[in-house]
Amino acid sequence: MSTKRLAATAVVSASVLVLSACGSGGPGGGGGDFSDGKVVLAVLNDQSGVYKDLSGPNSVKAVEMAVADFQEKYGEEAVVDEIEVVAADHQNKPDIANTKAQELYDREGADIILDVPTSSAALAVATQAKEKKKLFIDIGAGTTELTNGQCNKYTFHWAYDTYQLAQTTGTAVTEGGGKEWQIIYPDYAFGQDMDKSFTRAVEEAGGTVGDHIATPFPNDNFTTFLTKAASAEPDVIGTMQAGGDLINLVKQYNEGGYAADGIELAVGLMFITDIHSLGVEAFEGVQFAEAWYWNHDDENRAWADRFLEETGTRPSFAHAANYSAALQYLEAVQAEGTDDADTIVGNFEGKEINDVFLKNGTIRAEDHRVIHDVYLAKVKSPDQVTEDWDYEEIVSTIPAEEAFMPLDQSACSMGG
Amino acid sequence: MNEILQYTVQGLAAGSFYALAALGLAIIFGVLGVVNFAHGACYMLGAFAAAVLMDLVGLNFWLALIVVPVLMFFFGVLLERLLVSRLTALDPLYNFLLTFGLSLLLVDLVKREYGVSGQPYTRPEILGGQLTLGALRLPTYQVFVLVFSLLVCLGVWLLMTRTRIGMIVRASTEKSELTRALGIDVNRWVTPVFGFGIALAGLAGVLAAPFRAITADMGSSFIIILFAVVVIGGLGSIVGAVVAGFLVGLVEAFGQAYAPTLSQIVIFVLMAVVILIRPAGLFGREENA
Amino acid sequence: MSTTTETDSPGTAPAPAGGGPALLGRTRGRWLLLAAGLVLALVLPWVIYPPVAMDIAAWALFAVALDLLLGYAGLLSFGHAAFWGGSAYVAGLTALHWGLPFPLAALAGAGFAMLLAWPIGVLSVRRSGIYFAMVTLAFAQMLYFIVNQWRGLTGGENGLQGVPVHFFGLEAVETDAFFFYYAALPLILLGMWFAWRVVHSPFGRVLVATRDNPARARALGYDVERYRILVFVISAGLAGLAGGVFAISHGFVSLQEVAWQTSGKVVLLTVLGGIGTLWGGIVGAIVIVILEDQLASSGFEGIGIITGSVFIAVVLLFRRGIWGTVSDALARRRGERPAAEAVSAADGEEGL
Repeated sequence: MSTKRLAATAVVSASVLVLSACGSGGPGGGGGDFSDGKVVLAVLNDQSGVYKDLSGPNSVKAVEMAVADFQEKYGEEAVVDEIEVVAADHQNKPDIANTKAQELYDREGADIILDVPTSSAALAVATQAKEKKKLFIDIGAGTTELTNGQCNKYTFHWAYDTYQLAQTTGTAVTEGGGKEWQIIYPDYAFGQDMDKSFTRAVEEAGGTVGDHIATPFPNDNFTTFLTKAASAEPDVIGTMQAGGDLINLVKQYNEGGYAADGIELAVGLMFITDIHSLGVEAFEGVQFAEAWYWNHDDENRAWADRFLEETGTRPSFAHAANYSAALQYLEAVQAEGTDDADTIVGNFEGKEINDVFLKNGTIRAEDHRVIHDVYLAKVKSPDQVTEDWDYEEIVSTIPAEEAFMPLDQSACSMGG
Repeated sequence: MNEILQYTVQGLAAGSFYALAALGLAIIFGVLGVVNFAHGACYMLGAFAAAVLMDLVGLNFWLALIVVPVLMFFFGVLLERLLVSRLTALDPLYNFLLTFGLSLLLVDLVKREYGVSGQPYTRPEILGGQLTLGALRLPTYQVFVLVFSLLVCLGVWLLMTRTRIGMIVRASTEKSELTRALGIDVNRWVTPVFGFGIALAGLAGVLAAPFRAITADMGSSFIIILFAVVVIGGLGSIVGAVVAGFLVGLVEAFGQAYAPTLSQIVIFVLMAVVILIRPAGLFGREENA
Repeated sequence: MSTTTETDSPGTAPAPAGGGPALLGRTRGRWLLLAAGLVLALVLPWVIYPPVAMDIAAWALFAVALDLLLGYAGLLSFGHAAFWGGSAYVAGLTALHWGLPFPLAALAGAGFAMLLAWPIGVLSVRRSGIYFAMVTLAFAQMLYFIVNQWRGLTGGENGLQGVPVHFFGLEAVETDAFFFYYAALPLILLGMWFAWRVVHSPFGRVLVATRDNPARARALGYDVERYRILVFVISAGLAGLAGGVFAISHGFVSLQEVAWQTSGKVVLLTVLGGIGTLWGGIVGAIVIVILEDQLASSGFEGIGIITGSVFIAVVLLFRRGIWGTVSDALARRRGERPAAEAVSAADGEEGL
């Protein structure tokens, strides 16, 4: 039953005395208050399924990098000497996520759970976090519910959500001239959510959405839907499909030759790993929202180089976000001198942060949405690619305040 | 009108995949009495083999249409000899369970080796673009898939009706007790027939490679629809499998066009109706119901 | 259906009801076994993480329900997720909206599963063998799509979140998985006891007769189809009870519960444990749930590689499953004729 102990990154015994002194005199004056005398960070994500490449084992690596950086930065000044990173696989199933979250909090003594892609799994973990009064920072899931109807005191949403995806792509593509849209979306909660968000964003930017075409999920044949959408001769077909379904749709869009008719394809949710697996040819010219891109600036690139050394691959936004969340959590622990969840929540709320992932970041106190600058990316053409993973061109930056749901629209009440 | 024609062709093209794979399923069932749960996994393996061989040795699409089914044939022969044959004397449910276990194993082996993201695949340039017929415009590749699989189905039909092997297979499919009673040695044909059925699933997979996402899970929902196809067509019927395959493709396309959210349910409703009215399937024989 | 008519599907499963002389040793053995099983059920959450223990108990009842159908009536349902999952949604909804105490919610779910099973059963028993498996699978898929579509009620892909545990205000049970286990265990044991009663009743004996030789059973005046429909509905009810408890214990219901993979999983663990024994399903549940839990934690990729290969090995080599194989070996060591052989030696191992 024991969760895999990936790395017990403990700083060694010689410093114990010094450290305990440090702890009590620590900046936050928390009195060296640590459950089990250590801090345990748990990464709960998909280690084997569809999101394995996007987050998976390399998210654990990213969190380990954060721990190493923290220990290097503070050395003997650190308020806690033993920091442990554990990981578990939720296989994208909410029931497994639910059980694993309980197990991590109760048995592994996890002080915080990180990552958790798949909305249904993330919502299950959020419920556990609320019940156990322990921290949860979600990175991999997209549902706005985490910071709306189902928000709670212990849950934070760090990287992206469906509202932000629509706001980024919908607004930017419309303003770029794609006025008339057709939206194809998978007919389940995520897809419906995306359809609504995109429609609002497109209309606010002065565009119109013709048909909203619901498709089954999963589905491998989109030709009928594409024919239907294209028959209205729109400027843009917006697709909210993800993963394998997205690949199906893109292949069939290419076969249909719609690009030559001047019908652009805008993708609601897409990751750099999708481009990597299918090749830039298939996605060339497609526009999508990116929460972070490894080759955007020198700071990102330097971190991505380190990540490459550790893992042999370039980081996705989720890897960078996991690093950022773990690091900021440890910084908060350092500042407060405790791993007590309520104290850390107090430290987090309203905090402004700039790190490798969060640019102009703020942890909103009201709904625990972490807002930060995000980007509209465009897939390069094959001859523009100069190295492995160099697939994206950042078209524009959307400032933090504009990218995420305004507070007055949020249905979150932290009362519970 | 134009749209209806368009949906018809698209539906038939989608049905091609079902027809080819269901044909393989029906032939295997006919001669061995085995419902191959791993048929979806074999479809997936066919697509993967095409993608992996292209990546490793640059095998192009045209060659893959020949090489991959041959490989899958031998894979099928191996499966039959090593596993399936050990259970054919027993209740066919055992082989149903065996192939169910096999599909779990194959899918996760592929996942472990190649991950879960899609594999890249490039189709030949000549199949790109669109064909224009009056106001009708269709992706060339879809038309190719449709024509190609119709030819394959026709070829299999000729094989079944014009050759001795085919006669034996057909006879044992449709009247197995009688065939055996006549002293025809059906057993000699069991292994190659199994291989042939698997090869057809693999061929459907190769055809899917340029057009669909090549992932380890691509066969998982495919096999469920395939079951509906053979139940609608009648398990023991070769013609039924093909006709029902195209029919389900059409139902799917028109369902998607006019009642998108219901399109998946419609197939199973159709199946339920068929069971109610003709328990043996559209082309099955009533006495074995 | 050319090769499998229902007449040639004899079973290998032992029929405890009619099986063998009631030797003193065996009777005592059976009581000891029962006691051991009960003790195991009681200490499980002490040795295993309680939520996992609850999963084992729920899956064990699910497997027992399937075994009732597969082992005793010879019908392989590949659509039992419809009943497990259908009940899970009903139990979740009644707990969520009406605040039903969880045992009532689970029973409501079980009732719904039986209502659902009746029409499906009537249609499905028209065919046996492989057809039955595929038809039940298809009906379960229909329910899957309906649940997925009916978002307003079911939460669609997000699942039904935040299902509360109500238990007459007893806070320990409502909040602690350890105590919840003990509150839910009676329901599980009740379900298992009911299955045992069915098997050991005259009804159960007729059932085994319809499995072994439907034509003969018909000739004796039994309405084979009615027996099959009835056992199908009972099996669905028990599967539903298990699914309801499972849903409440997790605090939510996901689409996974009605997906065909869940139907596959329960078949897998029942066959793995050994069919036609009821105990087999319990053993299968223990093995598979623990294995999955361990593998999920160990970072091993591809659970299907292990479960798939083990399953293939069982189907090829140990068709009587873990329970059947072990109990035969034990019986042989004691110099008795294994129960199973006594019953089915004449048939040879030809059917499920």
